[in-house]
Amino acid sequence: MHAMTLRAATFALLCVAPVAQAIDADDAALQLADQPQAPSAAPEQRDWRGYAEFAVGLAQPRAEADVPDSARLSLDAVLDTALAPGWRLVLSDRLDGWAWSGQADRAINTLREAYLGWQPDAQTAVDLGRVNVRYGAGLGYNPSDFFKVGALRSVTSADPQALRENRQGSVLLRGQRLWDSGALTAIWSPELGGEPSDDGISLNLGATNPFERWLLVASHRFSELIDPQWLLYSEPGSVLAGMNWSVLLNDAMVGYVEFAGGRQSSLLARSQGEDDAAFRAAWVAGATWTTAFKLSVTLEYQRDNAAADADQWKALQNDAQQGAAADYARYRQLLGTRQALATRESAMLYASWQDAGVAGLDLAGYWRRDLVDASWQAWLQARWRTSVADLTAQWLYNHGEALSNYGAAPARQRWQLALTHYF
Amino acid sequence: MQLWLGSLILLAAAAVQAAPDAQSLLAASDAVRNPDQSFGLTTTLIEYRNGKQQETSTLAVYSRAERGSGQFRSLLRFEAPARDAGKLMLKSGNDLWFHDPSSKATIRISPQQRLLGQAANGDVVTVNLAGDYSARLAGEEDIIDGDRQPRHAYKLELAARAPDVTYHRIEYWLDTGNSRPIKARFYAQSGGLLKTAYYRRYQSQLGVVRPTETVIIDGLDPNWVTVMRFDDYAWRDVPESWLQRDYLPRFKPQ
Repeated sequence: MHAMTLRAATFALLCVAPVAQAIDADDAALQLADQPQAPSAAPEQRDWRGYAEFAVGLAQPRAEADVPDSARLSLDAVLDTALAPGWRLVLSDRLDGWAWSGQADRAINTLREAYLGWQPDAQTAVDLGRVNVRYGAGLGYNPSDFFKVGALRSVTSADPQALRENRQGSVLLRGQRLWDSGALTAIWSPELGGEPSDDGISLNLGATNPFERWLLVASHRFSELIDPQWLLYSEPGSVLAGMNWSVLLNDAMVGYVEFAGGRQSSLLARSQGEDDAAFRAAWVAGATWTTAFKLSVTLEYQRDNAAADADQWKALQNDAQQGAAADYARYRQLLGTRQALATRESAMLYASWQDAGVAGLDLAGYWRRDLVDASWQAWLQARWRTSVADLTAQWLYNHGEALSNYGAAPARQRWQLALTHYF
Repeated sequence: MQLWLGSLILLAAAAVQAAPDAQSLLAASDAVRNPDQSFGLTTTLIEYRNGKQQETSTLAVYSRAERGSGQFRSLLRFEAPARDAGKLMLKSGNDLWFHDPSSKATIRISPQQRLLGQAANGDVVTVNLAGDYSARLAGEEDIIDGDRQPRHAYKLELAARAPDVTYHRIEYWLDTGNSRPIKARFYAQSGGLLKTAYYRRYQSQLGVVRPTETVIIDGLDPNWVTVMRFDDYAWRDVPESWLQRDYLPRFKPQ
């Protein structure tokens, strides 16, 4: 009897102990929340945001390549202000001051956006000026991001996110009409002539407005599952249809598809100034899965039927190896301008981990592989966040045979350390 | 015998009359937390780890009452820290969209993709629990509230009606006198405790006395604490047509 009582008492204690611990923990948490130093007032809403960044970059060049180490100071600012009821001014600019070892210093200004917006009522909006128009559900490659052509000016990171941020918009007129579950957007972008310019203070309209273009974008949410975005794009010589569709697969996974296709020349023909227009399509399919501990992993397949196939790519490489490198060089230059795939097929694995084991430390990285020539590129980033500044370390590695997609990069490895201060 | 039977019937009738309807209690507590029409507020999240203050985020929240469903569509705009200023999150039913004004990217995210420390996306937007959960009255208890005052509370057991909600099961304590929520424990499908929340610092906001602070304690690590403070309540109507993916790049607070 005594033993039973003891067992019962022990059992009761075991049951009560966690409850008591929980109450103690709750009390400690509530006391913590009572602390007066935590801010209770909301910060003032500002019309502008900006940051300054200082970075140093080191490179390990391939044999015979010249990749100087670099230092960079960047100033980045955005103003988005109301001029009057319904009227809005947006200015977005970045100045990169570069210093390379053994070369002259250079400053490159990128006027990303400068436009006037007018919204006469809640359902209608019109914008005029240089606007950064971006579409696409994909992470590493966006065939429906039609205005990405000629948009890159000063590349400071291989991160796909950074490439989207630091680019110049096109001069255009944009109108948008909204209804409760959808929207129709129409964009007209004129040809403004001239050649792309690498002059540091040039507006570079020759790169962003090389010919007349228009784009129609329509979306309507029929249900949680059926909510695609449709695009119709035209430039001289081609009309392309596009689609972006993403869907929630379960509580932790999002799947997406991006498509753009229509009558267009192949990239190889374009690079040689020829026209071989036929129906060609590009598409991306992927999924992002997120764990309970804030690690997100994306796997993406990328395909462009306008890019060089295995035989064409091999032929270009062979010609270059035998001294006739002009076609190869022109093709690669076009890829850079269009942010296009070098060959038909690629795959990408992207992971980002917020608060990676330690609060305030974010890790990100990708591995992208050319599925035609088997070359690959890896990129890793560690970012330490504080309330007003970030310290970021990046590493980029290119692997592959000479003249392959990634093997041809002048640097085998690159490192960058950057300190960013937000205002 | 007849007298005894009559008393029993009277007692039973009184008990039936006195037993509150759990679903109605839950709806009443929703009405304490959330206004019944479109509104805006500022939410400040302060995160503590092992007793030390970590990150602080401030969000402007715009919540639009949906016609018919009694649920809300919410738009969140990050105000601080400066790194995140201007970023937007839209929640409409199970649709969650995130917009970054720097990259112009508007992407669909999953409920698991948390943007703010320990607080789930579902914690920072306006949610009426009565729409997503079936409530059962589990009893009455005397408990200590978030302001360390003794309170007599109904304990409700909430079961998710659909599998796609943030929490599978919730234990919910609310004041027997006025249906004000006091405390909640949120559980995963596995049965594990995800977090404990205390609703406290009640003040009159938009005509009703509401909690202006929620203290969230992590279920696995009680030293991980997030405080959510609610300020600047105001009636604010955001047009329905603005609460969609294609408007996010254009959204600007009025």
